[in-house]
Amino acid sequence: MGYLISRKTADELFARLSKSHDIFAPKLFPGEGCFSDTDIVRYGQVHTLDEIEFDRRSDYSSKETLLAVNETLFYFTEDATTVPSCTDRRLLIFLRSCDLHALRRLDAVYLENGPEDFYYRRLREKADFALMGCRETCDTGFCVSMGTNRTENYDLYLKPEGDAVYVDCRAERLLSYFREIDAEDCQMVPDHVTENREKVTLPKNLSVQSYDNPLWESYGNRCIGCGRCNFVCPTCTCFTMQDILYRDNEHVGERRRVHASCQVDGYTDLAGGGSFRKKQSERLRFKVMHKVCDFEKRFGYPMCVGCGRCDAVCPEYISYANLLNQLAKEEEA
Amino acid sequence: MGLDINTKKAKKNAYRISKVRGESAARIRVPGGCLKAEILGMVQNIAETYGNGIVHLTTRQGFEIEGIQLKDMDEINEMLQPIIELLDINQTAPGTGYPASGTRNISACIGNNVCPFANYNTAEFAKRIEKAVFPNDLHFKIALTGCSNDCAKARLHDFGIIGMTMPQYHPERCVSCQACVKGCKSLSVNALHMENYKIIRDEEKCVGCGVCITKCPTRAWTRSPKKYYKLTIMGRTGKRNPRLGEDFLIWTDEDTIVKIILNTYRYVKEYIDPGAPGGKEHIGYIIDRTGFAEYKKWALEGVELLPETKVRECVYWSGIHFD
Amino acid sequence: MTNAYIPFSSTVTKIIRHTDIEYTFRMTFEGDVKPGQFFEVSIPKYGEAPISVSGIGPGTVDLTIRKVGRVTNRIFENYEGNTLLMRGPYGNGFDLEQYKGKELFIIAGGTGLSPVKGIVDYFSKHPEEAAGVTLIAGFKSPEDILFRDDFAVWKQKLNVIQTVDTAPEGYEGPTGMVTKYIPDLNIRDLKQSAFITVGPPVMIKFTILEILKLGVPEEQIWISHERRMCCGLGKCGHCRMGSAYVCLDGPVFNYAEGKNLID
Repeated sequence: MGYLISRKTADELFARLSKSHDIFAPKLFPGEGCFSDTDIVRYGQVHTLDEIEFDRRSDYSSKETLLAVNETLFYFTEDATTVPSCTDRRLLIFLRSCDLHALRRLDAVYLENGPEDFYYRRLREKADFALMGCRETCDTGFCVSMGTNRTENYDLYLKPEGDAVYVDCRAERLLSYFREIDAEDCQMVPDHVTENREKVTLPKNLSVQSYDNPLWESYGNRCIGCGRCNFVCPTCTCFTMQDILYRDNEHVGERRRVHASCQVDGYTDLAGGGSFRKKQSERLRFKVMHKVCDFEKRFGYPMCVGCGRCDAVCPEYISYANLLNQLAKEEEA
Repeated sequence: MGLDINTKKAKKNAYRISKVRGESAARIRVPGGCLKAEILGMVQNIAETYGNGIVHLTTRQGFEIEGIQLKDMDEINEMLQPIIELLDINQTAPGTGYPASGTRNISACIGNNVCPFANYNTAEFAKRIEKAVFPNDLHFKIALTGCSNDCAKARLHDFGIIGMTMPQYHPERCVSCQACVKGCKSLSVNALHMENYKIIRDEEKCVGCGVCITKCPTRAWTRSPKKYYKLTIMGRTGKRNPRLGEDFLIWTDEDTIVKIILNTYRYVKEYIDPGAPGGKEHIGYIIDRTGFAEYKKWALEGVELLPETKVRECVYWSGIHFD
Repeated sequence: MTNAYIPFSSTVTKIIRHTDIEYTFRMTFEGDVKPGQFFEVSIPKYGEAPISVSGIGPGTVDLTIRKVGRVTNRIFENYEGNTLLMRGPYGNGFDLEQYKGKELFIIAGGTGLSPVKGIVDYFSKHPEEAAGVTLIAGFKSPEDILFRDDFAVWKQKLNVIQTVDTAPEGYEGPTGMVTKYIPDLNIRDLKQSAFITVGPPVMIKFTILEILKLGVPEEQIWISHERRMCCGLGKCGHCRMGSAYVCLDGPVFNYAEGKNLID
């Protein structure tokens, strides 16, 4: 159902939704950027439409709403383990098409690869997804090349425009929120971009033979292994387990999982010493091949959704998009 | 006809008495070293109209237009007027050039407009101080620097202002990668360590440089909304006893710094050696005479310090002694 | 919905000390388990470590643990506490059926013997089910030899070459790397042979080179990879090689497939 509502009515809609939902959306965090007097856009809880940052792509992706950077798996108390309880509220997550496509990748790893993940599953099934349109392309994204520039797989679509807000509700279970709301019916197609500034051709024949491609080295020796590309990526899902014992009571502690990066030292370290992929160039190859071929071999579609966040965040100006294009070009030759 | 110039007045008007008789250099102050490019054209015009076409970039981030004639001061002052106005310099009478030169240009590093390490907008704060202290004949040197690297050599000034940020830790965003720990160790003072997979900051050791924040890949470290400063005092060069400025206040704010500088002017007026040559005496020598406790009393009068500010109770300077 | 992250408690029924730093813990366990599979073993608050199954008995599994890191250090200090927390078994393990009726060659280095020990145990009890079993086991030095009592039993039933990389003067017994003994293997029928090699990555690499030199087809070689298996559930990503998750698809790989997996 399509609705045209006023901003004031949108506030009422948010108030209604907030009764049942915790709403998460990209928010501007002033002054919290890397450098002095710079801002950051990342996910946080909102209560009104005004709090949502519609003008900028979020620097960190929506994955943080379903996979917290730090997540307690259980608490230890003496010999017992206690699993933290899950929210009894539903979630409404605002996100763009690229991140909604990334959700399918998260599902693949957390629900289809081996046994279902208890923690992901219990949050995931509580979540409704509200699409944010893209009226124009972001600077580094290449969603059109990846076919992730549009989606119909949303529960809600919201588009604020001046004093009006266009809403499309596709989820049956959310229709009740629009009952007796002051709205005009309207038809709409969510805003989506049809062309990006960045265009990427994927290499198709990466294999064991690509191991020695000198491109890995030429990019890899610029890499400082900070892991930013992984942490901002909507499809990177790796984590590391940590056991913590509380300082003031050694009988009590918790086991956590925290986001991990295949680019950062320690990722492959074995307890007894020994590690794999010691060089940054090897780690870069490992990541790139996962994004565009290894994942696809397993699940049937590429992992990368072309959001472009990794290129935007790299402090060493390594362009993953450009690297892909060069690999593809070599295949042509 | 012999030149009849009041050199004291000329110097105060920011003209140099040079080694060539009758020849001078016109000094232009640029607070914070930050100026609109159009001013460069104006400087060029003066240099080519009244000078010898050469401009010296001073160590304090001003211009010195070389080879002008002392007799042309009035005309040059007219031409300086738009520069003075564009740079928003306090003036007593328009068209008469600079009303004082004792308190030197407030210099600054490039600051957070450009530099990733800087913790604040140095030029903006420099301009604020300039507005508060100028014109003044007393010999004060003030410099601002964006972070503890002190590229502006603030510690060689009577007042050195060093940008700080109070790192804010968000453990729920920390992935234990230790980029901050390694960064602090290799680039700063090794004030961080990891315990139970989370980072502990040694608050005594931390210099507020912000390296942990720039190194953090997840925004687990962010800057404090409030900007903090370290105020170092009484650094100087000179013939007798050059020395580095010592920390006076750590984790202080802009208002406090401006008040302390203004208080120091009152202190100097009270205690300056009336027989000092040219009415110039480095503040540091005055403090050596009155004792630091007396200076501190004057400096902190009417100042309300932030609860987090650390004040050095006693300050001792070393440096090199030639006397 | 089951929560695969929650460990169960298991009792230590016996401890076998091999060296100062390598003990086998016999743990109570009811359920299906295969040689080559592994458990995530943890001490509450100190973390988890993936440990290969080194023996399977009625109602028990053996876990041979080398004291090498934070978690295993803690296990060694605490074994008298009698219980450990475990999750698993994880991984595919070895399929014994594949080796029955074959002439089997097992080449293992150090603790790499643990994942194949179940196979050796089985065929030493049922030697008639294979067309011959040869075990080449390498250790750094005589002090590092594991499973001494087991070797005594195996030597009676199987062809065993137990070698040490370096030995003090006067040591009686084979010395040198395991690879030294591969060229001289007497294989009756190449087509009916099967090779398993487990150990440090470098050892696996050179062992396979030697095996291939014998003319053994790649499909008849199996390897088991040691990687950082953190969750054991195909989620955390640490153990991934190419398109494979070692914790799910491995750690045992047929070489014809495994050679295409790169770190």
